[in-house]
Amino acid sequence: MDGSRPRVMALQRHDAVEKITGAARYTFDVELPGMAHGKILRSPHAHARIVRIDASRAESMPGVLAVVTGRDIAALPERTYGVFMRDQPVICTDKVRYIGDSVAAVAAVDEETAYAALAAIDVHYEVLQPVASIDAALAAGAPLLFEEPQPYVPLHVGAGSTATPEPRPNVMFEYTYTAGDIEQAFARCDHVFEDSFEVGRLHHFYLEPYVTVARVGGERIEVWTCNQDPFVIRNDIARIFGKPEHLISVHSSYIGGGFGGKSFCKTEPLNVLLAMKAGRPVRLCFSLDECLLTLTKHPARIRLKTGVMRDGKLVARQTRAEVNGGAYADAGCMVAVKIGYRINGPYRWDAVDSACAAVRTNVVPAGSFRGFGGTQASYASESQIDLIARRLRIDPIELRKRNLLEVGQPFLPGDSGIDSDLARGLDTVVHALGYYTRQREPGRGMGFAIGIKDGGGTGYHAQAVVKVTPTGRAIVMAGVTEIGQGASSVMPQIAARILDIPDDWAMLAPVTTDHTPLNAGTHVSVATTMLGKAVENAARNVREDILKFAAAELAADQRALELRDGAIWKGNESFPLEMLVRRHFGGAGYEFVARGYYRQPYDEGAPLRAKAPFWLPSWVGAEVAVDEETGAIAVLQLVVCADSGHTINLAGGRGQTEGGAMQALGMTLFEDLVYDGVMPVNARPMSYRTVLARDMPQHFEAIVEEHGLGPGPFGAKGIGEGGMLGIGAAIANAVHDATGARVTTLPLTPERVLAAIDVARKASASGGL
Amino acid sequence: MPDMLPISFVLNGRQVHLTVAVNAVAADVLRDACRQTSVRVSCDQSVCGVCTVLADGFPIASCTTLAFDLDGKQITTLEGLSDREALHPIQEAFRERAAFQCGFCTAGMILSTKALLAARPAPSREEIREWLSANVCRCTGYNMIIEAVQLAAAKLSAARKD
Repeated sequence: MDGSRPRVMALQRHDAVEKITGAARYTFDVELPGMAHGKILRSPHAHARIVRIDASRAESMPGVLAVVTGRDIAALPERTYGVFMRDQPVICTDKVRYIGDSVAAVAAVDEETAYAALAAIDVHYEVLQPVASIDAALAAGAPLLFEEPQPYVPLHVGAGSTATPEPRPNVMFEYTYTAGDIEQAFARCDHVFEDSFEVGRLHHFYLEPYVTVARVGGERIEVWTCNQDPFVIRNDIARIFGKPEHLISVHSSYIGGGFGGKSFCKTEPLNVLLAMKAGRPVRLCFSLDECLLTLTKHPARIRLKTGVMRDGKLVARQTRAEVNGGAYADAGCMVAVKIGYRINGPYRWDAVDSACAAVRTNVVPAGSFRGFGGTQASYASESQIDLIARRLRIDPIELRKRNLLEVGQPFLPGDSGIDSDLARGLDTVVHALGYYTRQREPGRGMGFAIGIKDGGGTGYHAQAVVKVTPTGRAIVMAGVTEIGQGASSVMPQIAARILDIPDDWAMLAPVTTDHTPLNAGTHVSVATTMLGKAVENAARNVREDILKFAAAELAADQRALELRDGAIWKGNESFPLEMLVRRHFGGAGYEFVARGYYRQPYDEGAPLRAKAPFWLPSWVGAEVAVDEETGAIAVLQLVVCADSGHTINLAGGRGQTEGGAMQALGMTLFEDLVYDGVMPVNARPMSYRTVLARDMPQHFEAIVEEHGLGPGPFGAKGIGEGGMLGIGAAIANAVHDATGARVTTLPLTPERVLAAIDVARKASASGGL
Repeated sequence: MPDMLPISFVLNGRQVHLTVAVNAVAADVLRDACRQTSVRVSCDQSVCGVCTVLADGFPIASCTTLAFDLDGKQITTLEGLSDREALHPIQEAFRERAAFQCGFCTAGMILSTKALLAARPAPSREEIREWLSANVCRCTGYNMIIEAVQLAAAKLSAARKD
């Protein structure tokens, strides 16, 4: 069955021909008859009460079909969305909370008319004092973004964890985790080191702008969206409008990049409202400028107090972290959980104690972004590990190896065991850089890091259907969206291997909530492992059905039959499936259809209330040259290693790792959505400097290893976020190796590098470290 | 109502005659009037390269080109690269090296590559990186794209020898 057909390790993808000929269809391309165009009026103030909106001039403009304001959502069954913390209104009602917040929306016959209508809407604001930073938001007497507690769906956690909504003014959520006795552990340490780290604000910069189309007719609501989570969208529309799910259809197309920025509810309910009021389908497409002011990664501030023995054994870590959540929660509660949990890294500890608070400020909301807290946490943790090694005069690689979790050891008490050989991946990047063998040159340094996160979601469950056509082709119905990660190749490849057919005999059906089995969303690197198992199970079930049918048709023992290349094999004799099907059924034939299911059970003994299905390490080695006059960093060599468990699609595995690494390279060196107080400074594509081809390191390599321990099909596990996690610390560690200077804030701008070199020179002049 | 203007250009080898508004944007005209759906707009500020088309073989940002500037030119979109029978060697190279993920940058990336290889048939890795810095890709990290361009250069060179 599986194993008879050799694995295809070429760089093949099912979406190749469509994408390289331009035939691929994205939500951006969706066009409906009579379609109108929506645009949004955005707040120029960071914090203000909406006193009055006069849209009469706009409403009476020729070509304007509808204007929607907060008044239009007052009568809806629900008015807000968000993940656990549902504090974001479909459109602002009484207040605006950041520059860019949605105040009014227009639907018109074309975009030009819609823009003209926006200019004709008069809004009277009463400006309020804003809070621009974490410290300002937490200061006593600070103005509050929300005066009332917000709708909250309990975020359940497990042993050792607490999850508290709105514990303090301007704190939307706080997560804590403890294991062991931290004070006792500190007391027996030889050294206790305290260091602080900060991470800036990264934007997803997907190239397909956020775009949705809504059509309301009769009883039905239809939405075409670039969102990564069509069933989450269906749920939110059902809840907000009080409509039943079976009359709401959400359609997915190829997505032009997501990275988490297209996760969870965004503009869909507003688009539906516009379509309802306009009486025509409405397309609501953002400019990339608007996307920059919709959602970002969480800037973070992480303080680590870590106790160690003089031989380098890690004993205890206490973490106090705050993330800047911006004006609305989006997925901020979960990000706070994941930072507070992942901060401890891939090491054994006697005691840990962490707290992470998501703070409300009057800036762009932060939410889901590849790495999901694991990026910020890995940066802080792996930077400090390196610092500790240097202070103890122990080789940073050695120090890590003395403390690394081994295969099977739980990440933290009650969680699943590590399923990668962490030392092996570290050796790979160390060897690739020639750390122990190459001559060191002045002005150059090497740094390493092992980022890690849990992967596969918390208590995730997945459903899939596989149907086999009369000629033995397979159609896989699974609700993962193709955001570029290659899921539209991997899912059919799994089915193809179980059904013993060529890869290109299977395809992933377009995802639409009416036909596709329910899926919780395309994130947390979940698809290959969890949905992949559901697809595998469905394929096994349908294979069983086919063999049972064939056995009856051929009056043979089912155990003597095999299914291969769309034919039934009985010893050396083969019977095309199509022949058997047409003979028995006649007419248009018959399709074999079977379901599959897979879930990770809840477990109150696990810190996150479910064991992690798998672990996603990210081993990185970086060699840099630092110009000590300008502070400029040149990344000469960057090697990233990831563990796929078992690589199902090589193009996807390598591509995802390299792509994630370059995203993190930008975040590490220069990419930052900057705010001057509450005013965004570079929220335009022209001024938001993202990574270009010329920014690639001279030598850049991704190594995808197969440690074979994943829970997914054939031993696979997810890899999509691995490329990102270890980059920041590896480069910061390399800069330290080159210059003796430690930069603790990302991005490592030339100014910060020069300031750190200055500090290091003064410290070494006075004899400190 | 803006003034209207007749324009005439060659699109993927075929003559096109249109009447467009003086302020019509090339990307919109190519996409809507000429049904070239591979022409998409992302940044709308000529910094990302997604909307790249070739005008007389040279890459232009169609989002910041006025439609009347297409007049009298040979315009190539991605649709013009392959015929019904076969993919262009550059497209073959992108397919073989899986030099894409979400695909949104791919039209512009392939057309930029075509222009590069016309100007530099055997480009160095450095030259490829510099040239393709006009095209943002957020998914791939560029490595596999550069490998595809090198493969495309080899394919085109072999074809010329035949």
